[in-house]
Order: sequence, then C-alpha cells, then structure tokens
Amino acid sequence: MGNVFGRKSRPSRVTEQDRAILQLKQQRDKLKHYQKRVTLQLEKERSLAKQLLKDGKKEKALVLLKKKRYQDQLLDKTETQISNLERMVQDIEFVQIEMKVIEGLKVGNDCLKSMHEAMSLEDVERIMDETQDAIEYQRQIDEMLSGSLTQEDEDAVLSELEAITQGEDVELPEVPTEPLPEVPEPAETEPGNERRPARNKENREMLAA
Amino acid sequence: MSFEWPWQYNFPPFFTLQPNVDTRQKQLAAWCSLALSYCRHHKLYTLDIMEAQESPVFNHKNIDRKLSMEAILIVFEELRKKGNLEWLDKNKTRCLVMWRRPEEWGKLIYQWVSKNGMVNTVFTLYELANGDDTESEEFHGLEDWMLIRSLQALQMDGKAEVISMDDGKGVKFF
Repeated sequence: MGNVFGRKSRPSRVTEQDRAILQLKQQRDKLKHYQKRVTLQLEKERSLAKQLLKDGKKEKALVLLKKKRYQDQLLDKTETQISNLERMVQDIEFVQIEMKVIEGLKVGNDCLKSMHEAMSLEDVERIMDETQDAIEYQRQIDEMLSGSLTQEDEDAVLSELEAITQGEDVELPEVPTEPLPEVPEPAETEPGNERRPARNKENREMLAA
Repeated sequence: MSFEWPWQYNFPPFFTLQPNVDTRQKQLAAWCSLALSYCRHHKLYTLDIMEAQESPVFNHKNIDRKLSMEAILIVFEELRKKGNLEWLDKNKTRCLVMWRRPEEWGKLIYQWVSKNGMVNTVFTLYELANGDDTESEEFHGLEDWMLIRSLQALQMDGKAEVISMDDGKGVKFF
C-alpha cells in the first residue's frame, strides 16, 4: 500500500495511442470469441445435418445446411474484420516507431547544429594555419638537430634505387610475341597465363617506386 | 505425461494425520508438496474444497484411503502459511492455489515478451493467456486473477503497466 503515493508521482507511461491499440485489440478478441462460437456451432450443425440425412429428413437437413452456409459467410466476414483490426494496430505501431525515428533524427540534427556553432569556419582556418606553422617549425628544429640529408645525398639514393630496379628488369625474359602453341589440357595454360601478368605488374610497381 | 505420485501416496498411514509432532510435520510437508505438484501438473489455479476431497490427490481409491476434511483443511492452512494458497471466501470453501508465485509468473511472461521483441507493446489479457502466440508457453491458460497479479508484480518493477479500460484490461510492457 505504501507505494500508492509513490506511483502517483510517476507519470503514466501509457499514451493515448496505447489505449487506442488496446481498444482495437479488445475488439479483435471479441471477434475471436465470436469466431470460436460460430465455428463450434457450425461443427454441431454439420453433425446434426448428417444425422438428419441418415434419418431420411432431407428437407430439414437442407434448411440446416442453408443456415450453415450463411454462418460460413459470417465467419469469412469476421476473418476479414479481424485482419482489418490487426492491420490498423500494426499501422499505429509503425507510425509510433516512425515518430520515434523522427525524434531521434531531430536530436541528432540539433546536436550537429550546436557542434557546428562551436566550430566556426574562421576558427578552423586559423587552427589549420597554426598547425601548418607548427609543423614547419618542428621541421626546422629537426633539421637543425639531426642534420638531415642534403640534396646531393638524396640524388645518390635515388640513383641507387634506379640501379637496383633496372638491374632486376634486365633479368626478365622477353615476352613471346608468337601465338601460344596449342596445349591439350586447358588446366595447365591457365595458371601460366595468370602468373605472367602478375609478375609484370610486380615489376611495374617496383619501377613506380 | 502422467503425474508421478510420491511413494507416500501408496502408503496407507499417509492418509491419517499422525499424532507425533515430528512425523506430522514431515507428513504435512509431503502433503503440501504433493498438492502443489498435482496442481502444477494439471494447471489448476482454483480449488473447491468439496471437489478437492473427491479428487485423486486426497482420495486414493486403489488403496481405499482418503484424507479427511479436517486434514485437508490443515494441509491447506499450511499452504496458506507458506503463501501458496489464498482463501476466496470466509467459509473456506474455495481457494486460489499459487504453485508459482506471481513474481515468477511475471518473470516468465516478461521473458517471453522480451524474447519476441514485443517490449513497448500493448496486449490484452485474453491475448496473453489465450492467444495463439502463447500457445506453447507455460503461462498459456493462466487464470485472469493470477495473470493480473503477476502483471502487477511486474508493474512494481516498472516493467509493465496495467491499463484499465471500460471493458476489460490490458497491459503494456516496458
């Protein structure tokens, strides 16, 4: 009993939509009850009609079957109504989800906006400039401290690299120009064909480096 | 699956309340567990004491023994003390049996709801206890009073909220 007061302070989390859904679902339950009743009745009447036929009361059986047919139609109608109600419930639920999605997007949008406000273009420009300056400054310090390679050294390194790559290039066999002789098993030609371009590519990459 | 009777059930003195205090205590405990497991097996939620007297639990026809009315009342009183039973009327003719506490039922229901991703959805009570979706669940066929109690237990934890409408009740899970 103590939390009667406790609960009052907490707002109910049941929305109007929830109540609407509940009402729809209750309606559906009622229809299901009805459906059950009619189905049972149909079952009964069917056996009764059989009994009547056995007893030779064809007229009565016919009347009963007519009634049954009518109820069958009712059952079908109920079925569509139930599915209508269910669709309505699903629609409401989906719209609720959509609303949540939009809410989420809105929050995200606001957040982005406020962050952009804190980060003006001029600031970014200034900061980038400053960073560039700092990098330049650092580079100068590095140069002073370690005495980095001179232009001559760089050239020497580059020519050495070229010598190495060209040296490898020479070892390559010439690419055959005549068409390949016919090989009975295609299985063997395929890997060979594949390997060659791959190796050429490797060399090309090395040259580029 | 048929109900498995405990060994005491075929033991004639079991059907007479024992005078020795210790023995009697053990006997009552055995009766309580028998009554509860019988109800659980047959999914009984309400008992009528007159009917109970005739039911196979308290009336073992094969050995021609039955528990007297007074003894049944004592067993039921014992169950009530343990919180498994509640009288529906002052004359003690009908009672509610809770072989699973409302909190446990609530937990089971909530597990099913969250497993099926139906948190934040509204249900009618009929749908929960008798709907096609819950057919294979243990709480299928749960009686309304028990269902409401277990939902109220969930409500205490803030996991559900029972909605009352003009005709019938519903529940929303969180």
